[in-house]
Amino acid sequence: MMPDTETLPGDSAVPNVAVDPRLLEILVCPVTKTTLTYDRAANELVSKAAGLAFPIRDGIPIMLPEEARHLDGV
Amino acid sequence: MSAPSQIFDRAAVRRHRDRAAASVASVADILADTAERLLDRLDDTTRRFTSALDIGGRGITAPLLRARGIATVACDLSAPMLALSGGPAVVADEEWLPFGPGSFDLVVANLSLHWVNDLPGALIQIRRALRPDGLLLASLPAFGTLAELRGALTEAEAMLSEGASPRISPFPDLRDLAGLLQRAGFALPVADVEDIRILYADPMHLLRDLRAAGEANAVQLRDRRTPPRALFPAALAGLPEQDGRAPATLKLAIMTGWAPAPSQPQPLKPGSATHSLAEALAKPD
Repeated sequence: MMPDTETLPGDSAVPNVAVDPRLLEILVCPVTKTTLTYDRAANELVSKAAGLAFPIRDGIPIMLPEEARHLDGV
Repeated sequence: MSAPSQIFDRAAVRRHRDRAAASVASVADILADTAERLLDRLDDTTRRFTSALDIGGRGITAPLLRARGIATVACDLSAPMLALSGGPAVVADEEWLPFGPGSFDLVVANLSLHWVNDLPGALIQIRRALRPDGLLLASLPAFGTLAELRGALTEAEAMLSEGASPRISPFPDLRDLAGLLQRAGFALPVADVEDIRILYADPMHLLRDLRAAGEANAVQLRDRRTPPRALFPAALAGLPEQDGRAPATLKLAIMTGWAPAPSQPQPLKPGSATHSLAEALAKPD
């Protein structure tokens, strides 16, 4: 079971453009080349192996290691 | 494995591309010309392609591929640049490609791989993202590109100051490129070069065009101080002239390589010949 990610009150003001489902099929972690999980609530692509979460902005996944959020406890 | 040397400042490359997203339309004809030359190579093969990756196409390559009926994903270091490409897009670094094995049957990189530090590494990652018998088509400026400007700048800077700093990128030699493809595991690697000469009535426009295309200097060792005010006028005045106009040469290297597949022509095993070469040569006509 994925932990629920809370939606911050201000978030709904910014409309999230959905990421193209074809991209989800081919994208892998740029660092480890392992599969990613799509966290719909946080709008992030999560690489458990690298401990990184890649943001999606305006429907465009930002797959740069330097832009990724470091996951806690990794 | 040691990290490849950092010749280029990738953060600067990204900044230049972000900034150029607003101006790249002014050099669209040059980019479209080189993209067309690249995609012409698709007509040389009977192979049909269905899914392509456009690397750094600046809003030019992806629409041309889609016009050929090929579903295309665009990637670039710069999100604003990607906004020009329409359709699915990913911000990605050529040195850290985020695509799974066999994601595409065609990868097209039009004038975009020359700011990559680890070109062999990028090519290996591209090959892995291709399906067997998938094709890489890449164009990049080869050695000799902007030779006139490089010469004029070096001369002017040596005259105005104590030395010269790198203001034009180092470009790969054509001979190195086919070897690079082979080292990266591509089959049937080919690299050739076409000369494109652009004449500028006002050489200042050459600098403007380079900047508009996101091609401002990103060499790591560049002199980061503001250049002496007289440098560019002196250099531009030193450019060779042709009918009162300043020529700029683009040595456009075109690289093609295929992801290996069993269906491709294979070299025979050594020692598998059935006829002796010596015998054949010894036969009198």
